[in-house]
Amino acid sequence: MKTPNNLSLSDSEERQSRFELRTLLETSRMLIESQDPDFVLNNLLLITMGKLLVPKGMILINQGSDHLYQISKIKGRNPLEEGEVIQIDFPEKKLDQSAFSGNEIPEITEKLGLGENSTFFNLRTSNHHLGFLCLGTKGTRQVLSEHELEFIESLTIISSVAIANSRMFQELRLINRKLDRKVHDLHTLLELSKDFNMMVDQDEIARTFKFAMLGQMLIRTFFFVLDENGEKSIVASSGLNDKPSQKEIQQMFELEDVFYCEEEHDCPFLDNNDIKLLIGLRFQNEKIGVVGVGAPANKENYSKEQVNFLQSLGNLALLTIQKTYLLEERIEKKRMEEELGLAKTIQQGLLPSPIPTIEGFDLAATNVSSYQVGGDFFDIVDTPDGGHLLAIADVTGKGVPASLLMANLQSMLHALAPIDISLSGATDSINDIIHTNTPDDKFITFFWGKISADGKQFEYVNAGHNNPMLFRKGEDKPIELEEGGLILGAMSTITPYKSSVVEFQSGDVLVFYTDGVTEAMSPDLDEEYESERLTKCLKANLDGSSEEIMNAVIDDIMAFSKGVQYDDITLMVLKVN
Amino acid sequence: MKNFSIATRQKQNVSILDIKGELDAHTASHLENALKSLIDEERYSIVVNCSGLDYIASAGLGVFMAYIEDVRSLGGDIKLTNMNDRVYNVFDLLGFPTLYDILEEEEEALQSFKN
Repeated sequence: MKTPNNLSLSDSEERQSRFELRTLLETSRMLIESQDPDFVLNNLLLITMGKLLVPKGMILINQGSDHLYQISKIKGRNPLEEGEVIQIDFPEKKLDQSAFSGNEIPEITEKLGLGENSTFFNLRTSNHHLGFLCLGTKGTRQVLSEHELEFIESLTIISSVAIANSRMFQELRLINRKLDRKVHDLHTLLELSKDFNMMVDQDEIARTFKFAMLGQMLIRTFFFVLDENGEKSIVASSGLNDKPSQKEIQQMFELEDVFYCEEEHDCPFLDNNDIKLLIGLRFQNEKIGVVGVGAPANKENYSKEQVNFLQSLGNLALLTIQKTYLLEERIEKKRMEEELGLAKTIQQGLLPSPIPTIEGFDLAATNVSSYQVGGDFFDIVDTPDGGHLLAIADVTGKGVPASLLMANLQSMLHALAPIDISLSGATDSINDIIHTNTPDDKFITFFWGKISADGKQFEYVNAGHNNPMLFRKGEDKPIELEEGGLILGAMSTITPYKSSVVEFQSGDVLVFYTDGVTEAMSPDLDEEYESERLTKCLKANLDGSSEEIMNAVIDDIMAFSKGVQYDDITLMVLKVN
Repeated sequence: MKNFSIATRQKQNVSILDIKGELDAHTASHLENALKSLIDEERYSIVVNCSGLDYIASAGLGVFMAYIEDVRSLGGDIKLTNMNDRVYNVFDLLGFPTLYDILEEEEEALQSFKN
C-alpha cells in the first residue's frame, strides 16, 4: 500500500522493481529457451556481473565427485584459467545454502582470487547441486544488499533449471545419436546379409567384408584369416606392414575368441602391425576364422557393442563363405553326375544293339544298369569263318574306371575276332594286355565262347566268370561251363587258359549272367537272390522263347529285390532250335 | 548392374572424382579402382564430389578409409565435397568428419589444396 507522503520514493522503487522483473523475465526466457549450457552459463555470469558491477566472477561446475569443480566460465583478472579442474573442499553445509558470503570461507575465496565481500550462489535444482556462481568484490567494495541478493538468487534458480534442461537435452541428443548409430549398424548388417546372399565369389565376399569393417569401425588396419580345410591364410587385409608367419597365424587361432591385444601374448605380428583386437569366428563350434583390427581413428578402445558388431559381421561373412563351399560342392557333384551320365551313355553304346540273330538259334540279351556306371559287358561278334563269338564280362568296381576298362576289353574283342587264333590263345593275350595295362586291383571276370559255323559246337573259355548254365532236355541239373582259368588281369599268363567244347543238342538252353543277378539283394539286405533261385526260375520257364525266359528271370529278380538294384544285371539266353 | 558411376576430371593439379548413384558393397570396387589408378598415376590431390551420390553404405566408406593414409603419406589428401544431408549423416554417424575434410563446395576444396 502506498501513502501520499512517500509517493516519489515508492515511485522510483516501483520503477526499479519493474525493471528488475523485466530483466528477470527476459533473462529467464533467453536462458530457458537455450539448449546450450555454455550459453546459459556465460550469460548468467555476464548479466550478474553487469548488474552488480562486479569486475571478477566465475562459474564452478561440480564434476560428479564431491570436491572437484571445473572453472566453466571465468571473467576478470584471475590467474586461474577457464576449463581448469580444481579441488575445492566446500564445507558440507554450504552446499545446502542458496547463497553465502565469501568471508565465511576465506581460504577458498583466496584460492579463487575473489577478494573481500565476494558472494557464492548455489546453482542447484531441487535434488542436485550443480555448482556455484561466484561473484568477486563489487566495484564499490560494498556488501550485496538484501535486494540484490534476492535478485541474483532468482536468476540462479532460473539458470539452474535452464542448465539442467539443457544438460538433459544434450544427454537426449547423445542417446539419440547412439540410437542412430545402432540403427545404422543394424542397417549395415541387414544390407550386407542381402548383398552377401547374391555373392558366390569368396574374394568378393572377403573384400566387401573388409571395406564394410573399415568404413563402419573407422579403422585402417584390418585382416581376415580363414582356415580352408586346414590351410590357414589371409584372405583380405588392409594397412598391414607385413604378413604373419604360419606360426603366428596358428598362435592367433589359439587365443581367446575375443582377445584384446594389450593382454599378454607372444605373437609379434600383432604388435608389429598395431593390432588392437582379435575376434575368433566359429562355424559349428570350430574356430575357422580370425579377424584382427587396428585402433579406430578416434583412438578409443573397442566397446562391447563394437565387439558384438564385429562378431556379427564376421559371422555373416564366414557363413556366406561356407555357403559358397556348399555351392561349389553342389556344382562339382552335378558336374560329376553329368560325367557319369555321359560314361553310362558311352558304355551302353558299347553293348550290341539290336541283338544280332544267329541262324538256328534264338538269342536274347539284356543289360539292366544300376544308378551308377557299372562294369558289366556282353557282346556278340561274327568271326570270318562264319562262326559267332558270345562274350560276357564283369569289370571290378564301378564308375568311370570300370567303364574305361570295359571299353578296352570291348575293343580287344573286336580286334581279335577277325584273327584266326585259338580261343585259349586269345584269352592268354587278353589277360597279359589287361594285366600290364591296369592297376593290380582291377580285374575282369570273363567268359567267351564260339558257336561253330555249322552251329553244332560251342567252344568256350571261362576266366573266373560265374559259370554259364546249360539246360538240356531230360537232365535234371544244368551243366556248368567252368573250364578256363584265372580271372583276367590278376597276374600274367603263366598257365595257359584251357578251352572246352560242348556239343549242342536241339532244345538246349544256355544261360549267361553276371553276379548282379545272383547277388541281387532282398529289401532288408539280409539275403541274396543266389543261383538256386535262378535255376528254379529258369527251369520253370525253359519252354518259352529265349526272350520269355530272360524276362521271367528279370521279373523274378525285381520281385525279389522289390525293384531296388545295387549292381548291373546282365543276362544272355541262347536257345538251340 | 547397380546405378553407380564415376567420372574423373582434372582441374589445376587436382583430380576430381564425380561419383553418382549408390555406393555400396557391389559398387565399392569401382571407387577402389578409381582411387588406385589415381595413386598409380601419382595424382595425390583428390577431391571426391558427392553431389550425385544418393546413398552410401559402410563398404563405400571403407574404401575411403583404406586409401586415406596412403594418399596422405604421399603428400596428398582426399577431400569430400557437395554431400547431401542424408549421405553426410552417415559419414557423420561413423565419425568421418574427424578424419576427412568434408566441405560444402568443390571450389573450397580446390582452394584448400592451393594453400
